Amino acid sequence: MRVNAPTVLCVSLLALLAAGCDEKLSDVAGPTPNLQPTFATIQRDIFNAADSSGRANCVGCHTNVGRNPAGGLNLINGQSFNALVGVASTGKPGAIRVVPGNPGASYLIHKLEGRSDIVGQRMPRTGGPFLTPGQMTILKRWIELGARYD
Amino acid sequence: MLVVATLTASAQTVAHSSSTTATAAAQDDDPDMDPNRAQPDFSLVNLPTGLRLPRHKMAFRVTHRFGRPLGQGDFGDLASDLFGLDSGAQIGLEFRYGLIRGGQVGIYRTSDRTIQFFGQYEVLSQKAFPVGISVVANVDGTNNFRSSYSPGLSAVVSREIGERAALYLQPAWINNSNPQPQELVDDNDTALVGIGARVNLRGRTYLVFEAAPRVTGFSDGDHHVSFGIEQQSGGHVFQLNFSNGIGSTLAQVARGGLDAWHLGFNISRKFY
Repeated sequence: MRVNAPTVLCVSLLALLAAGCDEKLSDVAGPTPNLQPTFATIQRDIFNAADSSGRANCVGCHTNVGRNPAGGLNLINGQSFNALVGVASTGKPGAIRVVPGNPGASYLIHKLEGRSDIVGQRMPRTGGPFLTPGQMTILKRWIELGARYD
Repeated sequence: MLVVATLTASAQTVAHSSSTTATAAAQDDDPDMDPNRAQPDFSLVNLPTGLRLPRHKMAFRVTHRFGRPLGQGDFGDLASDLFGLDSGAQIGLEFRYGLIRGGQVGIYRTSDRTIQFFGQYEVLSQKAFPVGISVVANVDGTNNFRSSYSPGLSAVVSREIGERAALYLQPAWINNSNPQPQELVDDNDTALVGIGARVNLRGRTYLVFEAAPRVTGFSDGDHHVSFGIEQQSGGHVFQLNFSNGIGSTLAQVARGGLDAWHLGFNISRKFY
């Protein structure tokens, strides 16, 4: 079969187009490679578990098991969503912990990034390691998408 | 026996010589070998032109985009940095080859370790139609083409105005223009309409302009704009340019500018 040059060129160009694929989310997620912008994975990988970077988990302090939750924020399974989304902060009057669709206005993000407007310490209060920029990006994306219980 | 061998060798030499002559004649007859005064180069600043690369010929291009924003500091600071030349630069090396008549393929690597492969084929010539139309397919990949691939498809519509100028329109679609994973973004594609012009000032001096407004999809940052002045000299084109960003592949152009002007230059060389 004779294959002419234009055919070869067209096939080559189509092959180039077919080569497209995206960067992997796991590359962004770093020490929590299975973290996604869903509440279930945030609960599992951020609230419940420490990670290989040395970051402390949240439920070590934010729990009602054997103690009062730090800052009045309970992040254990089944309680955390209702304690975060649309709920006022007990530490900073007027601040809302998670504002669906608006990570910039969500006080949770301010506390995790250690912004200048926070009351008290940056979280985790161990002084670091803190959430990585990639983990923060994924957490913000969950809020951007409406902070759903998914 | 010796006489027969000598005659055979002579016949082969004559045949080879006539074959070489025929090939040379065919190349001489190739209109793509003729200088094109309206389109002297394969690119404006970053966007492609409709210039055809002769079959089995090649061209090379070096691009520099200096990282220092020209608006940073006062004029004294800028002069101290020799208008940005002291700063680091994003450097690109491009090689293209005329695979078939009207069709060329190439590879372009920038120093942020992005590699772009591209192919271009002229489907309509201005000789037979009011405008020339070429299709361009490209794909770039970061990390030396090992991750985050961004394929694109575009048409370069060109109109030569005598030997004095050429105008360009380049509707393009670029997939995965957003560098973030798709789980983290709303738009992962960009459609843009590149516009451009090259005008011959006098002799072999040209002004070039291009812009790439995004019309839909991912469109962070400012729309890409570049302009420059260039001098053609033999097979070379030396261009001094100004851009509102340092990106130079089509996907980088789709991601937009940096809200600051940067000095740059292109040097291209045709090997024919």
